[in-house]
Amino acid sequence: MIEARGLTKVYGDKTAVAGVNFTVEAGRVTGFLGPNGAGKSTTMRMIMGLDRPTSGSVTVNGSPLTGHAAPLRDVGALLDAKAVHTSRSAYNHLLAMAATHSIPKKRVHEVIEMTGLAEVARKKVGGFSLGMGQRLGIAAALLGNPQTVILDEPVNGLDPEGVVWVRNLVKYLASEGRTVFLSSHLMSEMAVTADHLIVIGRGKIIADAPIQEIITGKGQGRTRVRTDQPDRLMQLLAGTGISVEVRERELLEVTGLDPRQIATAALENHVMIYELTPLQASLEEAYMELTKDEVEYHSLITTGAVPVEAGGN
Amino acid sequence: MSSTTVESTPSPRGAGNRAQRSGNGSSSGPGPSFPRVLNSEFIKFRTLLSMLILLGSTVVVMVGFGALSAWGTGQFSQAAAQDPEAGARFAAQGGDLAVGVPTSGIAFAQLILGSLGVLLMSSEFTTGMARSTFAAVPKRLPAFAAKLVVVVLSSFVITAASTLLAGFVSVPILDNYGLGLDLGSSQSVKLLVVNSIYVAAVAAIGMALGTLIRNSAGGIMSLVGLFFVAPIAFQLIPGDFFVEARKYLPGNTVEPLTAVEHVPNTLEVWQAGLVLGAWVVVPLLLAAILLKKRDV
Repeated sequence: MIEARGLTKVYGDKTAVAGVNFTVEAGRVTGFLGPNGAGKSTTMRMIMGLDRPTSGSVTVNGSPLTGHAAPLRDVGALLDAKAVHTSRSAYNHLLAMAATHSIPKKRVHEVIEMTGLAEVARKKVGGFSLGMGQRLGIAAALLGNPQTVILDEPVNGLDPEGVVWVRNLVKYLASEGRTVFLSSHLMSEMAVTADHLIVIGRGKIIADAPIQEIITGKGQGRTRVRTDQPDRLMQLLAGTGISVEVRERELLEVTGLDPRQIATAALENHVMIYELTPLQASLEEAYMELTKDEVEYHSLITTGAVPVEAGGN
Repeated sequence: MSSTTVESTPSPRGAGNRAQRSGNGSSSGPGPSFPRVLNSEFIKFRTLLSMLILLGSTVVVMVGFGALSAWGTGQFSQAAAQDPEAGARFAAQGGDLAVGVPTSGIAFAQLILGSLGVLLMSSEFTTGMARSTFAAVPKRLPAFAAKLVVVVLSSFVITAASTLLAGFVSVPILDNYGLGLDLGSSQSVKLLVVNSIYVAAVAAIGMALGTLIRNSAGGIMSLVGLFFVAPIAFQLIPGDFFVEARKYLPGNTVEPLTAVEHVPNTLEVWQAGLVLGAWVVVPLLLAAILLKKRDV
């Protein structure tokens, strides 16, 4: 379990993390989602004791990392795929890391096999692709068979097969009762990987909830309606806080009413409806909604989010 | 492949008892004790080709300069009687010119091994390795101390060994000129030991600079500035202050420490020892304090 209490990090006149409170529970995958520069990596470095908090504290299983008797056996982290000396081989890197905790060579070979690095393990890390670097970082994180696993943007640079592998790996680790904390700026990846989501923007926690709640809770519910009398139905549904958009000749999208209210209005006025589909906002949409005021680098051109049917994704 | 990987994926050991572990931060296995961190630092040292190249270069330079100096000393020995400056150096070694031959490459060895000290630490930061190192040893200072042991020990051993080797190569050359060199004489042993300690001290200063500056080029330039530029600059600047200050530069402590008789305008032996010690201890302390405080 990871607990942050009033965790703050200030660099010069820039506040990277502004007094955040959150708890990462064991036994589930907790996603840490936020735009670039939101404070995800800074927070993770503070968990690992690499950056000192300006104020507040963060603990793993009740104590800061400096208080752990065998840190590598408690917490494994991939913070940066390039946290390796480029002139050393992957095997020697892991061997040196393992030596600090008397982790046997057998375990070094295990994590190399596990991460699919066997063929390149004796090569210098400097020649590794970003994907191989990520695999080595994950191998190092798992070296001590830790109870808590922290992965900063683990799917960056991985091929599709590697992305699926990481997804399955983190789910498996969580199913074993471990604490898994995973950051990403990719909403789509989080939607299929995480059980619980902590959303951060400009150093503040914007949302901390089960992923399903974030998808349904934000983004207003919309309903797709097909009818052969679209003009009449539009008139019937009109009201404050309700918007009706015409998508096709006989297809409307209604916001502000639930399907039952639409069906009732249609039934009472003898308007035939031949489709009534609740639309769920995608995580992407929910995320955009959550972070629209918090992103540090606004793009000038914003593209509209595409709604996804409920049950989809 | 994905579905097959899942099964073979994580946790080959201890998957079952994992979840039962109490959540109070207790660990199931040995942690980073000093001997283990030291072992890790030795592995890191010997698995870097650049470190081995620097050690090899030291041997080549020391033996090369030893041989060259043996030849030059032989040529020089005849003219020595008329040259007053040579006479002074003669006196400093108790009239024995040949005894200093094996350590004649020290100025270059100190540059190479000082750079080794800088690089071993600065490369941790330039490559990002520091994040792995200090995540495994969050208290940081054990890793710093272990690295220091590696730097000091390797520099001392390689300097002593290459001095001895340079001696073996020089003896027959000097013999040609009728000059005797007894590698077992007390002055020979003293030169070997003091110079090796001195070079190890320079390497330690280098490591302190690498920790403070965290940049390879900057660290090596500071080292060169301190050991090569400052002595010359201090000599060129007029005024008594700089003449006096020059004696306290770390590079000027070897002469008084190895002289048979006190050479004028140098520190006393005990002063030189203290000055060199201060040059090692102060930067190392600063480096350790800042390493503990700063973000990695």
